[in-house]
Amino acid sequence: MLGVMVILFVVGCTASAARAPLFPAAERIRVATTTSLYDTGLWGHLEPMFEKKYKVELDILYAGTGIAFEYGKRCDVDAIVTHDKAREEKFVADGYGVNRIPFAYNHFLIIGPPEDPANVKGLSPEEAFKRLAETKAGSFVSRGDESGTHVKEKEIWGAAGFEHETVRKSGAWYIEAGRGMGPTLLMASEKNAYTLTDAGTFLAYKGKLDLVPLVDKGAILLNVYSVIAVNPEKCPKVNIEIANNLINFLTSPEIQKFIGEYGVAEYGTGLFIPCAGAELEIQ
Amino acid sequence: MLEARGLGKDYQGRQVLQCIDLQICEGDVLCLIGPRGAGKTTLLRLLDLLEKPSGGELYFNGVNVTFSERLRLQVRRRMSFVLQKPIVFSGSVRDNIAYGLKWRGEASKLVRKKTEYILELVGIADYADREAKTLSGGEMQLVALARALVTEPEVLFLDEPTANLDPVSGAKIEAILARLIESRKMTIVMATHDMAQGQRLANRIGVLMSGRLLQIGSPVEIFCLPASKEIAEFVGVENILSGSVTEKNGGLATISVGEVTFEVVTSCNVGDLVWAIIRPEDITFARVKELSSARNVFQGKITRMATVGALVRVEVDCGFTLLGVLTKKSADDMGIEPGVDVYASFKASAVHIIKR
Amino acid sequence: MVELWHAFIKALELIASLDSEVMEITRRSLAISVTSCSITSLICVPLGSLIHFNRFPGKSVLINVIQTFYSFPTVVVGLFVFVLLSRTGPLGELGLLFTPVAIVVGQVLLIMPIMIGLTISALSGIDGSVVETAMSLGASRTQASILALKEARFAVLTAVIMCFGRAISEVGLSIMVGGNIKGFTRTLTTAISLESSKGDIELSLALGVILLTLALMVNLLIGWLQRR
Repeated sequence: MLGVMVILFVVGCTASAARAPLFPAAERIRVATTTSLYDTGLWGHLEPMFEKKYKVELDILYAGTGIAFEYGKRCDVDAIVTHDKAREEKFVADGYGVNRIPFAYNHFLIIGPPEDPANVKGLSPEEAFKRLAETKAGSFVSRGDESGTHVKEKEIWGAAGFEHETVRKSGAWYIEAGRGMGPTLLMASEKNAYTLTDAGTFLAYKGKLDLVPLVDKGAILLNVYSVIAVNPEKCPKVNIEIANNLINFLTSPEIQKFIGEYGVAEYGTGLFIPCAGAELEIQ
Repeated sequence: MLEARGLGKDYQGRQVLQCIDLQICEGDVLCLIGPRGAGKTTLLRLLDLLEKPSGGELYFNGVNVTFSERLRLQVRRRMSFVLQKPIVFSGSVRDNIAYGLKWRGEASKLVRKKTEYILELVGIADYADREAKTLSGGEMQLVALARALVTEPEVLFLDEPTANLDPVSGAKIEAILARLIESRKMTIVMATHDMAQGQRLANRIGVLMSGRLLQIGSPVEIFCLPASKEIAEFVGVENILSGSVTEKNGGLATISVGEVTFEVVTSCNVGDLVWAIIRPEDITFARVKELSSARNVFQGKITRMATVGALVRVEVDCGFTLLGVLTKKSADDMGIEPGVDVYASFKASAVHIIKR
Repeated sequence: MVELWHAFIKALELIASLDSEVMEITRRSLAISVTSCSITSLICVPLGSLIHFNRFPGKSVLINVIQTFYSFPTVVVGLFVFVLLSRTGPLGELGLLFTPVAIVVGQVLLIMPIMIGLTISALSGIDGSVVETAMSLGASRTQASILALKEARFAVLTAVIMCFGRAISEVGLSIMVGGNIKGFTRTLTTAISLESSKGDIELSLALGVILLTLALMVNLLIGWLQRR
């Protein structure tokens, strides 16, 4: 008797696990997103809104810009949302993506312990990094994962006159987290270290951190988020229609407004600034 | 019924059995005797189709069953095997017995009937529902036997059925086997190194040594007329003397053994080298030289005596060593004890001659 | 300690309130791991039996290789399955990446060596004459093998428990081939990974308590089967 029940249980589990891909209920679209957008909770709100409007299942992959490009090249996702202009342009130029559509921006910040042992407060990003590398007065936690933030960090090192490879090996003060933005912030706070972060994620995590913004001005700190649909010519299985719907959705006036107001109530200031379609020049 | 032709088996280069030719007829009770390692178990396994021979062929009722897996399974199901160390399966005694029938796909009603019948027959109905693994060695062997019998096999193989049992359990098993032999005329092939058991139960005995079937015949033939020195030694003949034929006169011959001569009956010719074999039971002792029909009389001194049960084994030095046996009473009556002089005599026909 | 106690309370709250998201990921974890375990048992118990009862060249080498794979890192298996199922990979046409089926496939590959190896171990532990005795009583090879498995059933079911444990507690593979997609491929372990990295330790611990409870319940069920 129990044998029969066990068998039914097993069959039930199998059916449950197999349901979606073998008997697709609705259409699905997969999007790989940068962790900084995810950790702010923005996608948590946008997802249901999109799903309701277009009656599709939106699968969000918490990826990190580096792996997002990889997923795109492998045709495993239908669209990517990233924040690394140079690589995005290359992605499109190489034919993997259809078009690069910026839709929101904010700025990067260098944050650190309130005591600021390296004394970088108020400096320019390049100078701040220079001082950190030379004095090694405090630890620095890097994303270390080829994400948009990580690439930006490397850019600043370069602008400050350092070879990133040299900085990596220069001592225990430089820590490579290898994780998403939110987790990296937590680690930096735990270690009382400096780190580079986007303003949005920082605001969302502020309550959990013991770190404060120290450098927030500098053209190099511009952080633009773009969405790219994967090219159906290279990836025939891509759901280009829904990918385009996503692009339209993100750039629609309604959602742009939502993005602009996101976080105001909770954090006092918006986490993102909408910029649909417009290509920003470095200010 | 079952015939083996030129059967051989080797394991990883070691030749365990060779050139076995054997015929087993319906109703035969064949006992295979031989020292440990002779290959008895292997031969039983080959005959029961548990293993394929490396060479030779096997026939069952005229059909070659050596190679086809399907045929082998079919025929194997018509036979049963009781292993030397029986193992029982988890479950009750009844469950164990029922397995064989279940594997043959018999209906559960029939299974129940047959199981109950066998439990009665073998006398283990009392512990039918006990966990088989909690039984003693003797009880397990009975269960193994019951398990083998319930499928009504045409041939029953037994490998040393009483070797690991206490005498009481052993006797029980033998009694059941004796009953089966008598009432059902069951065909049995059994391996044992207990020759007395062989003599009690079997109508044919086969002697297996070093993988070869050296002699096969009735118990009398084996024990009184062993075909070779090795067999004689194995079956317990103790007087084995070497000699050569010096004279021949019809069936009667004279052989010289060391410094003495024997009168014997043999077909060997003058000059042949022989073994002279005399069973201890065939030697008579007397304190005085008596006139008897025995043509061989020797005087000697008792060197050793040993009591075995109700008998006394006596070792006499007559220039050569002779081993005889007496009842205790006779020994006492004659006053036979170590150091005493006696006359040992035996008939010419009691000396079994084997050509060397 | 206080944190652990709070986590325990929170776990009870989540279960009692039948929090929909927690129920969903619990159901999914269970469904995926029970499926992987069942499929693997169906394939590997007979396979282990075949390997054990037959002699063939290279048998001991094979068993050694199988045992080496017992502790194969889950992320490596995950990577392998990812490359296999990716659209640009050999099985890309099936479109299975980032679905629960991908996780099942990965888990099956992960626990197969354990199931085969432990089945062989289990069968080695029973008396060598069991199969022989069965065959002498008229069992075919298959019938005898089934009997052997029955005799070894305690150890075989232990193997099943071990495999289930390994399946339901792995993270690396689930994240890599499942994508940890909310509402679709998020499981208890991937959720714990995510929540703890986001700093929500209490929720992570609570999910951990639920996971342990699940494992306990499955163990009890199989323990009951062992005793029968």
